[in-house]
Amino acid sequence: MSIVCELAAPFIANSAVDGGAVIKPFRSHAASCLKCQARHAAMAKTARELAAMEGHRIAAPADLEWRVMTSLEGDLAVPKSWSRPVAWSAAVLSMAAAILIWRLRPRTS
Amino acid sequence: MSNPTDPTQVERDRERELIARAQSGDRAAFAALLREHQDEVYTLARRLVGDPHLASDVAQEALIRAWRALPKFRGDSRLSTWLYRITVNTAWTHKKRAGRHQESSLDDHLDMAAPIDSSHPEVAGEILELRGRLRLALDRLPDPQREVVVLKDVYGWSHAEIAESMGISVTAAKVRLHRARARLAKDLEESA
Repeated sequence: MSIVCELAAPFIANSAVDGGAVIKPFRSHAASCLKCQARHAAMAKTARELAAMEGHRIAAPADLEWRVMTSLEGDLAVPKSWSRPVAWSAAVLSMAAAILIWRLRPRTS
Repeated sequence: MSNPTDPTQVERDRERELIARAQSGDRAAFAALLREHQDEVYTLARRLVGDPHLASDVAQEALIRAWRALPKFRGDSRLSTWLYRITVNTAWTHKKRAGRHQESSLDDHLDMAAPIDSSHPEVAGEILELRGRLRLALDRLPDPQREVVVLKDVYGWSHAEIAESMGISVTAAKVRLHRARARLAKDLEESA
């Protein structure tokens, strides 16, 4: 096995996937070496298989929509722009309720 | 001027309308968008993380993040491209959290293959065999290398898009891709 073949291998793989020429220092070697040509052909086939994957969709789990939408319940009930005023109002109301409960508590004497 | 009878244009206008409604908080509109894009999001998650259960969690979180970030979506890119970016970032976060690569078997990936022309059994057999080896070789790549291969060679992203979504420089993305392809080619050669 030639050391040049091994040095050229990553560039041959790149050229096969991108469809461009092999970079200059290895171009003439790749053009005349059967091993490098075989590697180029194999990687080009691999690249076609990789590209073919793009058009194929895997069906999402049946419950994905339900999981997302139930996770969003809290978000959806209160739009983002309201979240701060709603949080402040809730804090003030709960403080008022606490004071009221404290004032109205039954006293022993 | 757009042609109102062009099905692609009609589809695009419908999606734009759904996005606008979802941006103003319309839950039903977001559910409609979700139904259209959930398979794409889940497919990308499966290809990035391998494991179906983890991919399902990644897809769920990505879609939740998409809902929260939707008011910031300006429509400069296609919605699916924008969702892909969120999915890639979510997959990264999940894997960092998990702290390890979850093993996935060849069986997990069998349904990932595109249909094969069955009129030439020999060719079909050869393609099926290559796909099997390719899935195993992809599985064996370190996560960052697998991600660049999936994004570049499967989804056709540019180096700049990959670099941006992975938070690395364009040069680093190119180097990573170069190494990933070399490793993939070597692995496939050895398994042949």
